[in-house]
Amino acid sequence: MTTPLLRALRVARRYGDVEALAPTDLELVPGETVALVGPNGAGKSTLLSILAGAIDPTEGSVESHARVGWVPQRPAHYARLSARENLELFARLEGVREPARAAAQLLDRFALPTGARPSGELSVGNRQRLNVALALLGEPRVLLLDEPTAALDPGQRRRVWEVADALRAEGGAVCFATQNLEEIEHASRTIVLQDGRVVSLTVEEVFG
Amino acid sequence: MSAALLLLRKDLRVLLRSPLLLGALVAYPVVIAVLVGLVAGYASSKPRVAFVDEDNLPPVVSVGGHRFHWQTVVDEVAKQVTLVRLSQPEAQRQLSTGKVVAVITVPPGFLGDLQTTVVSPKLLLQTGSGGLAPRVTEQVQSLVYQLNQKLQAGYIEANLEFVQLLLKGGKGHFLGRNFDVLGLERTQAELAQMPSNERVAAIEHFVQQAREGLAQTGSALRATANPIELTQASAHGRTWILSAQVQSYGIAVTVTFLALLLAAGATAAERDEGTIGRLRRGLVGLGELVWSKVALAGVVGLVLGLAIAVVFGIVVEAGGITGGEPWSRLPLLLAGVVLAAGAVGAAGALLGALAREARTASLVAVLVVLPVVFLGLVPRGAFAAAYWISLFLPFAHAVKLFGAALYDSSPWGTVGIETLWLLGIGAAFWVLARLGVRTLTA
Repeated sequence: MTTPLLRALRVARRYGDVEALAPTDLELVPGETVALVGPNGAGKSTLLSILAGAIDPTEGSVESHARVGWVPQRPAHYARLSARENLELFARLEGVREPARAAAQLLDRFALPTGARPSGELSVGNRQRLNVALALLGEPRVLLLDEPTAALDPGQRRRVWEVADALRAEGGAVCFATQNLEEIEHASRTIVLQDGRVVSLTVEEVFG
Repeated sequence: MSAALLLLRKDLRVLLRSPLLLGALVAYPVVIAVLVGLVAGYASSKPRVAFVDEDNLPPVVSVGGHRFHWQTVVDEVAKQVTLVRLSQPEAQRQLSTGKVVAVITVPPGFLGDLQTTVVSPKLLLQTGSGGLAPRVTEQVQSLVYQLNQKLQAGYIEANLEFVQLLLKGGKGHFLGRNFDVLGLERTQAELAQMPSNERVAAIEHFVQQAREGLAQTGSALRATANPIELTQASAHGRTWILSAQVQSYGIAVTVTFLALLLAAGATAAERDEGTIGRLRRGLVGLGELVWSKVALAGVVGLVLGLAIAVVFGIVVEAGGITGGEPWSRLPLLLAGVVLAAGAVGAAGALLGALAREARTASLVAVLVVLPVVFLGLVPRGAFAAAYWISLFLPFAHAVKLFGAALYDSSPWGTVGIETLWLLGIGAAFWVLARLGVRTLTA
């Protein structure tokens, strides 16, 4: 039996009286790509944030056996720092040995601006690519993507999926949330969420 | 490099890239410090007091043979208030509108009572209901006290004239009546011509004792009027604006304002920019996150505290001000500044965590900092509750610490106590901020 790279055991999240995510189990094993599909407010982002360790579950736990990279739905970086400075800072925080070199490689790989321009002044597409690049610092084996291609043009989308597919091919695992049904073709497994719960409906049934 | 230091370096870099924000952050507390100074200055300025003369006092008043130019006496003694001559209706109108803070009325018959030297004439004082009323009452009491001091010489002379009349005898005038007094000397002379017997001898003995006793009356009256005499030397100290207290307040206001605002804004900004989620993924502990904001407050407080102290020092040295600037105390002052800024920074991190959004955090910090500063300025005797509240906030302790560090001849007692207070307050806010930042990711 393959050891999962990431395992969520009965994770749930409540905000006061509101149940954002009902107790949910999920395993990510090497070589798979899991799609989380559901309408707005289904609990996809909450589940990914819990898996990433960005928020604590109110119930359950997460076991991680590999480095995890996380692409939040909204670009998360310091707007007054340049793309390079953001990458170098987070590389240092991740404990990457050569932060400057790692930053340079990712700048090149995602065709990001190398100048001193603050990242907050970059185009939406560039900011989203920086968001993805930040997730790849430290060479994670698990990649959690929260609607990663929402603001990207077709060429940039293709580049993001190339990265995800390469990671899976190398024995990693990818879990992504999407409302774009065309992207489900990248998944080896699809989980449908509705009102904070995993449901046994088809994608077509959920989206009507 | 630790995660907290990496975040500190990031925050400083971000701050330096916002020159407008940095300039406003520096200028604003300086303006506030000046305004606080003006308020404090107003507290020692002369309030406007109406003077209503219903007795039509003449320019020159004679009491007990002493002649006083009334207005000159009033001008001389009324250094604490600005007296303006008004009619009674106008004075009442201005009192009701707050244009004057009090009305002193000289009632009809005042001068007559004064010149009899046997009854105390009365002045009438009315004060408004504002915060200055107690101060004006004190100042008018001081005015009356000083007037009494001026008048008592005349009263003493008048009383001594009666004593002399009792001693020497002669014609006198009292309460509008003329009379002739035999006097002790003439009584003694009359007794000497009477046949000597035991009763006459007893009266002679009494008259002799009375003469000796009354001969001491002048010095006794003067001593009674002035049991303690105060002689005031001219002042050679610093002007108010360069005083140790203002220097302490200036640094404390600036550091408190900046530390609170920066720490609150920087903490809330982690949520605004979405980076708190990334940081929480095992990259930075919540405690380290709070430490980074405390350190940001400390570093910026240190730089600004140093700048203000140096500017003060240059002005003091250039002006050849008494006492000079205690340069050797600068390291102690700066250590105190870092500690105070850190304690305020912890409070700022808590504010930022609670506000959850940088703009709200900045606004709340501005709203919070002014009451904190003014609470620290309220004297203990004026409003006890304010004193007790300020005891658990960093500002008042920072002021005491800075003042002691700069100018106390033996600062260590005060520095030690205030350091413990700031450490305790800072630790309490740190714990609360540590709990508060957990909510940022929610």
